[in-house]
Amino acid sequence: MIRFENVSKVYGAQAVVKNIDFQVAQGEFLVLIGPSGCGKTTTLKMINRLVEPSGGKILVGGRDIMQLDPVMLRREIGYVIQQIGLFPNMSIEENIDLVPRLLGWEKEKRAGRVRELLKLVDMDYDMYAGRYPNELSGGQQQRIGVLRALAAEPSIILMDEPFGALDPITRENLQDELKNLQNKLQKTIVFVTHDMDEAIKLADRIAIMRDGGIVQLASPETILRHPKDDFVVEFIGKHRVGSELATVESIMKSNPVIIGPDKGGAEALALMRRKGVDTLLVVDGEKKLLGVLSIEKLDREHKAVRLIKDVMDTNLPVVTAESSASEAFDLLIGQGLKYLPVVDEQNRLLGLVTRTSMVNALAGVVWGEEDGVESNF
Amino acid sequence: MSPIFELLATRWPEISVALWQHIYLSMGSVAFGILISVPLGIWLSSRDKTARMVLGVFGAVQTIPSLAFLGFVLPVLGIGTLPAMTVLFIYSVLPILRNTYTAIKEVNPALLEAGTGMGMTARELLFMVKLPMALPVIMSGIKISTVYIISWTTFSALIGAGGLGDLIYGGMNVYDLGLIVAGTIPAALLAILAGSILGRLERAVKPRGLR
Repeated sequence: MIRFENVSKVYGAQAVVKNIDFQVAQGEFLVLIGPSGCGKTTTLKMINRLVEPSGGKILVGGRDIMQLDPVMLRREIGYVIQQIGLFPNMSIEENIDLVPRLLGWEKEKRAGRVRELLKLVDMDYDMYAGRYPNELSGGQQQRIGVLRALAAEPSIILMDEPFGALDPITRENLQDELKNLQNKLQKTIVFVTHDMDEAIKLADRIAIMRDGGIVQLASPETILRHPKDDFVVEFIGKHRVGSELATVESIMKSNPVIIGPDKGGAEALALMRRKGVDTLLVVDGEKKLLGVLSIEKLDREHKAVRLIKDVMDTNLPVVTAESSASEAFDLLIGQGLKYLPVVDEQNRLLGLVTRTSMVNALAGVVWGEEDGVESNF
Repeated sequence: MSPIFELLATRWPEISVALWQHIYLSMGSVAFGILISVPLGIWLSSRDKTARMVLGVFGAVQTIPSLAFLGFVLPVLGIGTLPAMTVLFIYSVLPILRNTYTAIKEVNPALLEAGTGMGMTARELLFMVKLPMALPVIMSGIKISTVYIISWTTFSALIGAGGLGDLIYGGMNVYDLGLIVAGTIPAALLAILAGSILGRLERAVKPRGLR
């Protein structure tokens, strides 16, 4: 979707961007990150020609941008800046439908679009459309800033530290919303930040820049696991957990107690007593996970239970062995679960993450010895 | 108060003629001033060097006493309405020009970056963002110009352009206090009235989002 070929930018004798090459795929979320003065913002602004490259070629949707009318190019690329930049003299509606207006959309189509966009961030049209930017909080303003960039349905959106000026809580909220929006809309996004947390949270791929060049361009996972050099190591700092990011596989219990779907209630109770557990995982002959049976459920419906498959809970969240431990942790804590089955792509049961295994893993990180701690629980 | 009203009433025929002349001399000059200064200020806002020069020239002109200025103009343009309006026009330029220039320059650069980045042309940026944002300050320049041009228009009487100055200088020549007051009070009222109308206008053009 976007392609940089040997692009450089020189101001006087100073090279700000030095011969960089990279591509951004359709629907990809690329984060440019690096210390100030590394050329990340210049790189971003070259895409919509706010800064013109001194050398090399930039292709957007296969077209050389230097051959395009910059005004038309910009209208088909959404743009969000750090200072928000809502026009104080325009209402929220006028701010959002600015580009559609420039493009000459019909009035009804514009109003419909504004309605639709406000709905995306749960803002009520009748309540907000007629307001002015100074009547909104900073977070609301930047929500509008993002909607404004989406208004004319561009396939590419450029964001220049859009959440940098917001307080931490608002920033987190907007990051979450942006992520949800991105899941729904699948835009191609190039996002500049100097905040590694933000980059890891949002990016499909991160480009770490330094002195006008790209040091490493890879997925957050790869960068955290295999930082290319000392600069990257230093830059990602606290995010580097030991030498690798813990996966679910490394913390799960691998032999959960299982039972077949066609067994009876009494047999299940006996099994629980024997193994000292209060939950059984129900699997079929191929170890495919069918459901979960808890002792509470069994107690409550003891008399009525004929077959386990009639009483088991089938609606339960699962994780894969490759997902990160923190994801499992979020699920457990976030949804108040006691346990989380681990499955492979074919839904075959591999193991189980419980709160205890989670705590053990964390204790291992904190005290550095997993085995010693376990006995204390 | 009543002697003044009486005075104004008895002098009304002369006052009304002079007042009308006064209005069109001052308003005409300011109108030309706006017509030239606003576009010039916009044009200068993207040319810093030229701007410093032009503002410097008008600033210097502003310091020439108006009486002396009339002396310069007299040999070239003669007497009457045209030289009077020329001088007043030149005086009206600086506040409007300076305010237009400054207000446009001071529009938040983030807005310009957002506008340009979203694909506004220079003209769209000017009419949709810069001018609406700058308008209150431009209006305030117009107000300042108008109020003091109304008072300076009294000098036009000296080169035979008429206006309320006729009554004042006439009164001074024949030691007629009544005549002086008959010229002064309408001129002062006119300035106050114009100031208040334009002050209101200044608030009215302020975008709602900036209030």
